[in-house]
Amino acid sequence: MRYDPPFHKTNGLVPIIVVAIGLILFPFVFTDTFSRHLLVLVFVYAMVAVSWDLTLGFGGLVNFAHVAMFACGIYAYAILAKTLGVSPWLAIPAAGVVAMILAVAITLPILRLDGIYVILVTLAFSQLLYQVVISQSDLTGGTVGMVTLPSLKLFGYKFIKDGKIGYYFTGLLLLAASVTVIYWVIRSRIGRAIVALRDHKYYAQSRGVSEARTRIYAMAISAFISGVAGGFYGSYVRVASPDAFGIGFLTIVLSILLVGGVGSLWGPVIAAFVITLLAESLANLGPWREILIAILIILIMVFYPGGLWAAVQELREIVDVRRSALTAWFNRRRYKGRRQELLNVEEKYIETDHGTIAVADSGGDKPVLLCLHGNSSSKEVFQYQFESYRDRFRVIAYDLPGHGVSTNADPETSYNVAAYADAAEQILEQLEASEPIVIGWSLGGYVGLELAARANVKVRGLVITGTSPLNIVPDDFGAGYNADSHMILAGKHFLSPTETKNFVTSAVAPLTEESAYLHKAMPRTDGRARLYMITKINVTDWPRQARMLREGKIPFAIMNGPEDPFLNHQYIADWPYGNIWTGKPNDIPGGLHTPFFNKPKEFNAEFDRFLKEACGF
Amino acid sequence: MPMEALLSVLTGGLVLGSLYALMATGLAVVWTTLGIFNFAHGAFIAVGAYVAWQISSADAIGAGFVIGLVGAVVVLFVIGVIAHFLLVQPFERKPNLVLLSVVTTLAGATIFENLLIVGWGARPKQIAPMLEGDLHLGEVSISQNEAIIIVLVLFILALVGFFLRRSRTGRAMRAVAQNREAAQLMGLDVPKLFGMAFGLSAALAGLAGVFIGSIRFINPSMGADPLLKALIVVIFGGVARFTSPIYAAFIAGMVEAFAIYYVGLYWAPAVLFALMIVVLVIKPEGLFGKHERSV
Repeated sequence: MRYDPPFHKTNGLVPIIVVAIGLILFPFVFTDTFSRHLLVLVFVYAMVAVSWDLTLGFGGLVNFAHVAMFACGIYAYAILAKTLGVSPWLAIPAAGVVAMILAVAITLPILRLDGIYVILVTLAFSQLLYQVVISQSDLTGGTVGMVTLPSLKLFGYKFIKDGKIGYYFTGLLLLAASVTVIYWVIRSRIGRAIVALRDHKYYAQSRGVSEARTRIYAMAISAFISGVAGGFYGSYVRVASPDAFGIGFLTIVLSILLVGGVGSLWGPVIAAFVITLLAESLANLGPWREILIAILIILIMVFYPGGLWAAVQELREIVDVRRSALTAWFNRRRYKGRRQELLNVEEKYIETDHGTIAVADSGGDKPVLLCLHGNSSSKEVFQYQFESYRDRFRVIAYDLPGHGVSTNADPETSYNVAAYADAAEQILEQLEASEPIVIGWSLGGYVGLELAARANVKVRGLVITGTSPLNIVPDDFGAGYNADSHMILAGKHFLSPTETKNFVTSAVAPLTEESAYLHKAMPRTDGRARLYMITKINVTDWPRQARMLREGKIPFAIMNGPEDPFLNHQYIADWPYGNIWTGKPNDIPGGLHTPFFNKPKEFNAEFDRFLKEACGF
Repeated sequence: MPMEALLSVLTGGLVLGSLYALMATGLAVVWTTLGIFNFAHGAFIAVGAYVAWQISSADAIGAGFVIGLVGAVVVLFVIGVIAHFLLVQPFERKPNLVLLSVVTTLAGATIFENLLIVGWGARPKQIAPMLEGDLHLGEVSISQNEAIIIVLVLFILALVGFFLRRSRTGRAMRAVAQNREAAQLMGLDVPKLFGMAFGLSAALAGLAGVFIGSIRFINPSMGADPLLKALIVVIFGGVARFTSPIYAAFIAGMVEAFAIYYVGLYWAPAVLFALMIVVLVIKPEGLFGKHERSV
């Protein structure tokens, strides 16, 4: 399953624009040389850390020669630009190429190795490079290194002038380019191969991913960026010193990577700022600085192994939960009239173990028709059923916990199918409504199946729509649905506006006046409800549902849209139902994932038939 | 190659080999029992040397070499146990223990090195050797200090081997290395044994530090090069048996001594490295390795 929307359609767009504008304006606000110098260092460290993450984080290949590639970049620049007189602008990319060639040379012996052996060989190799550099004193200046390397200039303008502003922007540009390259690589075919080999080597290999080739690509790309960073660094500090091979530099870059979060793209970039500024502010502590940074690394490893990126995600979750709760609170008041207009009933609020639930109940002493909406939607999706059935039935619909204008609930206990069914039981009990006929849509279909299977409430009839019955999870989940990007969106924690629009458009309907309210429902939904629906999938007793369907004691029908983009219709048709109305799943002509909303007349006609033939109304 | 040169190369190789054997055995003990690679091993070497210097040197306490040696072993054992508790223990159950422990032991190494700088300054010092003067055995001439180091190392390794194979604690350690769960079911105190293995390894590193310090100068970053050599030796020989890194250490010592003679000091590590690469490509589990780990 592949899901990689272009960057400008993800949630990353706004933060990146803000940060980019901030960094572009920074040198005009802080005109002192020192702050610009610090940021140039940040850019260099970030480049080295981010490119290292490609092999270490995404590839799971613990390549300790990466920093040596940076050092080799410095020396390549020094030798090319100073000794051979090559233009610095050519020497910097050439430094990247040199690092890349060396990286390929290291990769060859580690192709067959794994885990600790990779660490040992790469570390030994970087020490070897160090030995070679200090032994070739004619070429590299030995332990003293090389000084007064050529610096960058363009059309006679020296980049060091005007408070290093030229270097600032060159560094920023190089960092932006590096991040773009890494972003592009990890979303490309190669990147997926890299991650697949990390996550499940043998499975990836059996699917035709070449481990050797992928490793070489990953090492070469990351070394190229590191080498370019080295070349740029050489042109900036104008010194090539063997210290760059040392454990001190390695520790700084490694701490950036770990503090930022291994296996994330933006974490190391953020951490480069934090660590560099921290290291700089501790500069006058001498050896105590190294000790403090080392202690910080250990503490983070022990107490917060996810690093800063995990912290950012947690912060984001907190903000998003507050935002969705506030939206629900706001919508409750602001759109009350709109909701009443859609369903034409008074909204009630019922306290349950799963939060305050907003319920629409048409009332009266009539048979109960319970409507269960799907993932990231709201009860208003059943507006046409309220309209058609309120005369003959007591139509009840409610917003699932974390959805619509119900409150957010505890994700650990309330955001799964079993909990949703439990909420339904509590609501029915409090409304003194019994023996419901249930329409369950999508996620609501599972809630309906679960409600019937639990048998705490006698279900007189059950219709599921847009739902594939499951028995063995997660295998059946993969079989019952078309594996496309919408499956990822259905379980994705944070959605961008584009993703929200795409998902509601294909799950419910394109944005029109009639579906406008439903398009509002998705951004309100607590993102954790989507996430926990997937992570807590095993809380629900799926085989019990399957057993209930095979026994077939409850009148049961499936009404799907033949154009439903999510369902595997063949899987649903082949399922061994014990007792299904008309003997097979019913198609609502022209229906999509939401046939009762897209084609209400056709759906209601079919549903009437079901009520009459199977339930005796 | 003249006879004299050959003999001096051989004795040089023997000295290097015995030091490497001491360091590599320490590394291998941790590797086989805990399944991790201890990057603070080099720092332990430096700490051992400094402790011995502090105890033995006339500029400090001045208690003599032997007390310095024993003191270094005891202190390093304690440091090893503490380091295991702080740097490795918290991650024992994590799936990516290998990477985590690399990072934390590297951080630990940084802490130890810089504490040495804080405590003793960055200037090199020297531990007074055990014995002055040269030993003449026919054609061969070797400093008495180096000779006694070779003998001591062999004796200590034999002792460690005896401990691991015959003593109750040593056998328990090997049992934990072979099958942690089974050993735990038999009632062995796994965390304590892990701590002891780490302490034993650190004590061996400390010993190596004292010996190196009595041959060369000591400084806070003196452990980096021995660590690299020990690492090459361990990869080269594998850890299938207690003796594999020891044989490998003597081979590596000889190779290095000959390489220094033929291609010079700077290229000798390259030769060793090339040897390691060749072994890895042909036999990744090491020269004497079987495809599993145990002491």
